[in-house]
Amino acid sequence: MGLQEFQGTDNYVASEELMASVNIAIALKKPLLIKGEPGTGKTQLAEAVARALDKRLIIWNIKSTTKAQEGLYVYDTIQRLYDGQFGEEGVDDIARYIKLGKLGEAFDSEEQVVLLIDEIDKADLEFPNDLLWELDQMEFYINETKRTIKAKHRPIVIITSNAEKELPDAFLRRCIFHYIDFPDRELMEQIVKVHFPEVEGHLLQNAMDVFYAIRSIRDIRKKPSTSELIDWVNALQIGGIPTETIKKALPFVGVVVKKDEDLELVKHSDLS
Amino acid sequence: MFIQFFETLRSKGLHVTLGEWLTLQEALDKGFCGSSLTQFYYVARMILVKSETDYDKYDMAFEECFKAAERETEVGAQMLRWLDKSDMMELAHEQARDHLNKMEDLQIDKEDVEEKFKARLKDQDSEHNGGSYWIGTMGKTSFGNMGGNVGGVRVGGQTGYQSAFSVIGARKYRDFRDDRVIDNRQFQMAFRKLRQFSSRLDIPETELDINGTVDKTCNNGGCLQIVMQKPRKNAVKLLLLMDSGGTMIPYSTLLNDLFQAVHKSNHYKDVKAYYFHNCIYSKLYKTPECENGDWIDTEWMFRNVDSDYKVIIVGDAAMAPEELYSDTGNYRGPNGGLSGYEWLKLIKRHYKKVVWLNPKMAPGKAPWREAETAIKEMFPMFKLTVDGLNRAMTKLMVNR
Repeated sequence: MGLQEFQGTDNYVASEELMASVNIAIALKKPLLIKGEPGTGKTQLAEAVARALDKRLIIWNIKSTTKAQEGLYVYDTIQRLYDGQFGEEGVDDIARYIKLGKLGEAFDSEEQVVLLIDEIDKADLEFPNDLLWELDQMEFYINETKRTIKAKHRPIVIITSNAEKELPDAFLRRCIFHYIDFPDRELMEQIVKVHFPEVEGHLLQNAMDVFYAIRSIRDIRKKPSTSELIDWVNALQIGGIPTETIKKALPFVGVVVKKDEDLELVKHSDLS
Repeated sequence: MFIQFFETLRSKGLHVTLGEWLTLQEALDKGFCGSSLTQFYYVARMILVKSETDYDKYDMAFEECFKAAERETEVGAQMLRWLDKSDMMELAHEQARDHLNKMEDLQIDKEDVEEKFKARLKDQDSEHNGGSYWIGTMGKTSFGNMGGNVGGVRVGGQTGYQSAFSVIGARKYRDFRDDRVIDNRQFQMAFRKLRQFSSRLDIPETELDINGTVDKTCNNGGCLQIVMQKPRKNAVKLLLLMDSGGTMIPYSTLLNDLFQAVHKSNHYKDVKAYYFHNCIYSKLYKTPECENGDWIDTEWMFRNVDSDYKVIIVGDAAMAPEELYSDTGNYRGPNGGLSGYEWLKLIKRHYKKVVWLNPKMAPGKAPWREAETAIKEMFPMFKLTVDGLNRAMTKLMVNR
């Protein structure tokens, strides 16, 4: 295996399969595609990898309006036009108006970086296809300045997806894929303890009992996620709630259950 | 290497490409799998399978190919470390469970996998654990964990590798398969496929036309002249016709979801929805209750909802033969002088794109469902699942 190996960090608990997929993606020089329920720590993974390998993290947040081109570079024509009107200095130098996007920044970096392309499925259906060449060859060409930006050090690319859209096959073929399962109790306990090392055992047990009971309600609309449990445990600790009342009174349950219909359901079901 | 595995994967419907296969060989070359079958299971999965909906198919293929190797796998030192929680008993159990799983699989009707699956989980709850926290308990120990095998799906995630065969045995990815019945979000996603961008619509010009602006400005001696253009918008118009007859009652939540999804996907130029009872005759109802009087003429629809609307008919196509073929077959309202079959033919003639979604379609030919067979011949019929809906949407988009 490579010289550097990802083993999780102090505050990120990764399953062995997940660690293996990170390491294999690095060794095979392929983007790692991470899917999973919301709140299973997909985005944090990139942060953890960057921290563990001591590399800079560049985050490219994808929105529904994001275009692939924006990740490479943007040619600020309007600014140039505007400058041209007033005879601004250096208007004839197009390079001044070329601004590298996140992908361009990652390629152009002097040292290897971790590039997180977050929630790629938010973008247009064709978005991933538009990045195929760039992610494969790790280079792109700037038409306006006739310059090729080539990655000096191949960045470690981590892509997350909430499975809102099916990603195109051609894109998938180039990735290493890992689906983050929802953590079981054992792993969940570890995760919570990483965040709150001092958490009182009884409180945690009770909170997790309720948490998994809520998740197992059959017609619940939105299942609570890991991050919500962590917030809840935090709230319970700060609120100084006596452990016995957690199951009965469900204090701060709004932290875990966000929808009105779900709140009703939870109140009417037997969680003990 | 393992070329047979490659072929089995493809025969199970996983479209593994040569490129991916070579990547796997590279990974093997670099020694990622050691000598452990379990590691091979995970490495091959992460390289070859790109969706959790395919994990189940992968598991099936893997089992088929490496079943024989099962006993010889647990060799590497690392492997032993992972396995130190288990013992040989577990292998024996595994096989017993495996057998049980197989027995059970035979009884499972794909149509309601999810229902049975949940019921099974519930049963297991009372049988094995007694408490109400079956998921937790199962996850607690490696044995409880494995115990999920016969009836359950564990909540997933673990601190170490599970042996490949126990993962497969558990078939814990079965409920991810995309041929299962769907939820609202996935409906919405499927409907997004249905789009056709056009800038020839009658909307205000709100976007800056950069090329136009540059052109105009240059012609204007460098003095800035802005040109605007119309944004591109989806031009698809949708007509939804839904069966809300008695036989459709079991599917009412599903239909409700479908309806919600159509309305949430607000990117269509227009959406119209009407209801019918069992089959389409001279009247279409405005509400799912199908009350007499609260209706429109089907002929009015032909006149006012033009032929470039894309039509989705949702129904179980389970009419009695006379409901379809007799011109007095409508026992709830007027027939309008034509049989249901002829009304359907009119729809086919009027609209260019029609698909039929059926929540309980019989696979393949089903001569015993006379009406369904007749309608299948008229309209492309798809089962109302993620997979079916996606294919139906594609069908609506392609030119004939």
